Amino acid sequence: MTPTPATLVAVGAGQATATAVRLLRRRGFDGRLVVLGDEPHAPYQRPPLSKEYLRGEADRDDVTVLDPAWCESNDVDLRLGTRAERISSDGGAHRVHLAGGEELRADAVLLATGVRARRLPGVAGDRVVYLRTVDDADRLRALLPSAERVAIIGAGLIGSEVAASARDLGVQVACLELAPLPLLGQLGPRMARVYAEMHRENGVDLRLAQHVEAVTETPSGVFVRTADGAVEADLLVVAVGAVPNDELARASGLPVDPEAGGVLVDAECRTAAEGVFAAGDIASRFDPAAGRHVRVEHSDNATRQGTAVARALLGQSVPAPEPSWFWSDQYEYGLQFVGAPRPDAEVVVRGSVDDRDFAAFYVADGRIHAAFAVDRGGDVTAARELIARGIPVPEAALADEDIDLLDLLDAVEA
Amino acid sequence: MIPETATAEWVAVAPLAELQRRKKKQVDVAGTAVALFLVGDRVFAFADACVHKGRSLARGTVWKGRVVCPGHQWMFDPETGRADGQEDCQPVHDVRVVDGVIHVDPRPRRVRNPDPQERT
Repeated sequence: MTPTPATLVAVGAGQATATAVRLLRRRGFDGRLVVLGDEPHAPYQRPPLSKEYLRGEADRDDVTVLDPAWCESNDVDLRLGTRAERISSDGGAHRVHLAGGEELRADAVLLATGVRARRLPGVAGDRVVYLRTVDDADRLRALLPSAERVAIIGAGLIGSEVAASARDLGVQVACLELAPLPLLGQLGPRMARVYAEMHRENGVDLRLAQHVEAVTETPSGVFVRTADGAVEADLLVVAVGAVPNDELARASGLPVDPEAGGVLVDAECRTAAEGVFAAGDIASRFDPAAGRHVRVEHSDNATRQGTAVARALLGQSVPAPEPSWFWSDQYEYGLQFVGAPRPDAEVVVRGSVDDRDFAAFYVADGRIHAAFAVDRGGDVTAARELIARGIPVPEAALADEDIDLLDLLDAVEA
Repeated sequence: MIPETATAEWVAVAPLAELQRRKKKQVDVAGTAVALFLVGDRVFAFADACVHKGRSLARGTVWKGRVVCPGHQWMFDPETGRADGQEDCQPVHDVRVVDGVIHVDPRPRRVRNPDPQERT
């Protein structure tokens, strides 16, 4: 077993790093810990930036994920406004090269540089917002309440959550989505239609299969022209996905995923370089169950991978990757999804779609592969276990509210 | 009127049998929503609104000896209301079962919020 490293440098100060650093200290790691964050702000959670924080219901303290005072008292060297450019390695000894020319020695490095918002070429300006950082959220939070109408390009999770928050604030919303249904690849056609309906019921002018051709800033707002129409708004939010911040990995000669981007890591989050780990949105982790690398841009994944890295550094066993899970709070609904989408799956519904109180299970080959739920987090907990263990489940039982799904697990264990 | 005392004023809320099947139930205790859970053979009571985002815990799950919130899967220790890996603590009500009827103390128990860094 490799010895516990004397110095860990974490590049990136988001959820994965915060989780790893807190766990290391809690488990008695007494080596040097350095956290490099390129933003000037105390490390924060991103999920609230399109929800509570955007609506002004949470402030900076509420979203802080790694408290500078805690870092101080736990001997964590938190360096904000610091950008790392490259790692050079000589066997297990590493140097992290900072933008100003400084070099940090490290026995282990955690790459958790995350992703950034994908930009539309030429689409920028005073009334155009891309939402990724807390600075972006502050800008949108300042602009949104005074807007009468906001246009959103992209009905993915960020676009949808901004739409829901804007509606909650009483702002009109027009949302333009390229695909024929929102979250179609994730939810499949039946549930994507339900998702679209939920937004329309809450007053969103959701326009599907829209090809944006031009965006123009006008004296009073923004004009978005599509192939078959146009939207005028006071403000434009562009939410068209994210791009991995893997430049540092590339500059350091670490293998990256040629298609999806992101740093290739094994099931324990180790890159090809000894002692260099990657976790969170940036990491394309080998999933033995799937037989391939998977990159996930969700908070729970960052937490789990940060935990995996801390455990690996402590010489403890690293749990296998679990089914991907995310939540999204929109309007009064608590939405959750777990598992991997599978196009050929049959959808089995438990509960009432019309009442917006249901879980939809994606079943193929007698097993659950994914679940999407509205206000049914308990069913998602059960589904996650059923998916993780590949337990065969009769469809009738899934749809039968009188059968406790966790009892199905217990039956297998008994 | 009965004067308020320092001792618990137990309120009968539901027969134990009603908790057997689903292992969870929302009840009203003196105008406040309380969530009951059956964990193993013991009954526990939490304030129903999750301390995280206010979701109803009675709509959650009892799993691996923990109460799991349906909103964001925070996992609470039924004894103390402490959430795994979180700083917040769910208010806990004392419970007793008399002759097959669940009684709840309307006043939440005082639990010192532990330092989350001290916990595993």
